[in-house]
Amino acid sequence: MGIYVLIAYRNLVQAKRRTLLLGLALASVTMLLVMLLSWSSGISETMVRSATALSSGHVNVGGFYKSTPSDTAPLVVDVAQVRTAVEKHAKNVDYIITRQRGWARLVSDSGSIQTGIGGIDIRADRRFLEVVQLSAESEYLDDGRRQIIGNIDDLAKDNRVLLFVKQAKQLGVQVGDQLTVTIETLTGQTNSVDVTVAAVAQDVGLLSGWNIYMSETSVRKIYDLSDTAAGVIMVYLKDISEANQAMKTIGLGLEKDGYKVMEHDPNPFWAKFDTVIAEDWVGQKLDLTTWRDEVNFLTWILRAIDSVSFLLISILVVIISIGIMNAMWISVRERTNEIGTVRALGMAKNRVLTLFMTEALLLGFASTLLGATLGAILSLAIDALQLVVPSRAVQIMLMSDTLHFSVSISTVIGSTIAFTVIVGLAAIWPAYRASQLQPVTAINHVG
Amino acid sequence: MIHFRIIFALVLLSLIGSKEALATPLSDEQMLALLKKVDDRQRNNGDYKTIAYVQQKEKDKNDRVFQMVIYRRDEDDKLILLFLKPKSEAGKGYLRLDKNLFLYDPSTGKWDRRTERERIGGTDSRRADFDESRLAEEYTPSYIAEERLGKFSVHRMKLKARPKADVAYPIVEAWIDQATGNLLKLQQFALSGKLMRTTYYPKWKKKFSESKGAMVYFPQEIRIFDEIQKGNRTTVVLKNVDFRALDKNMFTKAWLESKSR
Repeated sequence: MGIYVLIAYRNLVQAKRRTLLLGLALASVTMLLVMLLSWSSGISETMVRSATALSSGHVNVGGFYKSTPSDTAPLVVDVAQVRTAVEKHAKNVDYIITRQRGWARLVSDSGSIQTGIGGIDIRADRRFLEVVQLSAESEYLDDGRRQIIGNIDDLAKDNRVLLFVKQAKQLGVQVGDQLTVTIETLTGQTNSVDVTVAAVAQDVGLLSGWNIYMSETSVRKIYDLSDTAAGVIMVYLKDISEANQAMKTIGLGLEKDGYKVMEHDPNPFWAKFDTVIAEDWVGQKLDLTTWRDEVNFLTWILRAIDSVSFLLISILVVIISIGIMNAMWISVRERTNEIGTVRALGMAKNRVLTLFMTEALLLGFASTLLGATLGAILSLAIDALQLVVPSRAVQIMLMSDTLHFSVSISTVIGSTIAFTVIVGLAAIWPAYRASQLQPVTAINHVG
Repeated sequence: MIHFRIIFALVLLSLIGSKEALATPLSDEQMLALLKKVDDRQRNNGDYKTIAYVQQKEKDKNDRVFQMVIYRRDEDDKLILLFLKPKSEAGKGYLRLDKNLFLYDPSTGKWDRRTERERIGGTDSRRADFDESRLAEEYTPSYIAEERLGKFSVHRMKLKARPKADVAYPIVEAWIDQATGNLLKLQQFALSGKLMRTTYYPKWKKKFSESKGAMVYFPQEIRIFDEIQKGNRTTVVLKNVDFRALDKNMFTKAWLESKSR
């Protein structure tokens, strides 16, 4: 085999210009593929990070409570018992928390917004504390100081609220300002309280624009809820990839324990109100979702990026394949006499085939490995530079204000193998034709 | 000097006392009777139809105006709010049947069940503003004071929602004209006691209803002020009130759907 590699290498060196051009094209496409995959992976990572900090656990045990057929509340009653049951059935759990969920109108002196309201226990909500970073005052206030004002721990106090930069700008408020939160209680009555801005955090992509956070107790009080009710039990697993299986296991366990569990609907809880309101039942039904279900309205972004990447790479693959085939044809044509000679000297057909295939695969492997490595280095460099995305709309789409690339070794190896195989496939036909040449015809070939 | 202060204090006390003496608080029964009167005066035993113009003013936003036709059959607690204008809203409608409120959207052809406290067309007005008055049924009154509201002498009462009453505001203060029994002003409070909305009924009209065999009173204009977001207000003008009998089968989903075909 070594001799084939040596001959293939010498042939590639001999046709230096063609090898360089083809190699460069192959390396560029592989580099592009690795970068696109790293970008998509980066967005996916950001999505998981923000979703599992702001609005979802890896698995969520939420539910709806209907006091009358025409009303519904996103609520788990007897939450302590349900939580005990979840703890019993869930496996490989990192930790479990409960949160309150609500929907509020937030009014300041200069504006108002409709927003989701999360009631959290700031001391227990580890992921929230990891992801949510307070913002410098200058980011949300003209002439603001370049220092962080406020304290996230103040969220443990009653009637304190954490906003994100975008919301603080919309409402024209800063830390210490008063806001009015208005909600509709589960019995349909209006309630309203004045709250103080405890802290303003940096935006965490699209999701942070839709949520504000208060202490669990404050949200409970506004909603006039008893201690036995909560919005959702959020389960964090040691391995997020087990979320689907964990959801099924917990669901089955809860059903066995006698709880009514809704049929799995892969949508966020707020998208289910109309369906649940239209249903004629009263009481409690639990609703289990994974983090992916809770943000499935955002996965179109990933799908769009992946689709565009696939289309782009497919076009480039076709072009590259045609280029490889063409180059191989030229190589065969140029070396027809040579083929005839080696065949006349007794080289078998399959060895001629192997010779040409080795040449193509050697070129493919070297170029794609170089391209994939360059793509990985470039992606890591861009990620390290924390390049700011200038457009607000794109920031929202990417769920981050900086470009985030996530490179994995599997992406580099996978891309290299995939493109080497594609190059090999493109070379099969010319190599086969070369191996089928009759020695006499090949030796007498003029051209 | 001390004598002067004592005399001043006595005069002040006597003034306060005389003011309190002027107020004639109503008993619980009298208040309930007054609320029933307010409700009954507006209730028509038969059917009711009116055209409503709703104008919503919001801070830093363009004004929005809707034209609706309201059909009511108070006997069966049935209600239809059918949007006529603007074009983008035409054909949309609410239908209340047996304590269930449904919204029909002709652009999707779908019906959605809504809560009884639905904000109509995204304005500050709610379903209850267009429905028959049920103050006595939904609230328990307590007397605050006899007051003057502009040129009117009024009874000011605090109304607390009865348990299980399906109302948006659990606490309401009502100013009721002593002379006519017309409701002139409502202040609606949140559960926390925060003032949310003030509603004025500046113009009342009456019309003879054959089905009732008596006059039916209705507000010609309702002005709703958002007390949380100052500057937001909704004005409702009711015109062409008609008490003639409506088609027997009109309070159905099919009838409302047919209006947008």
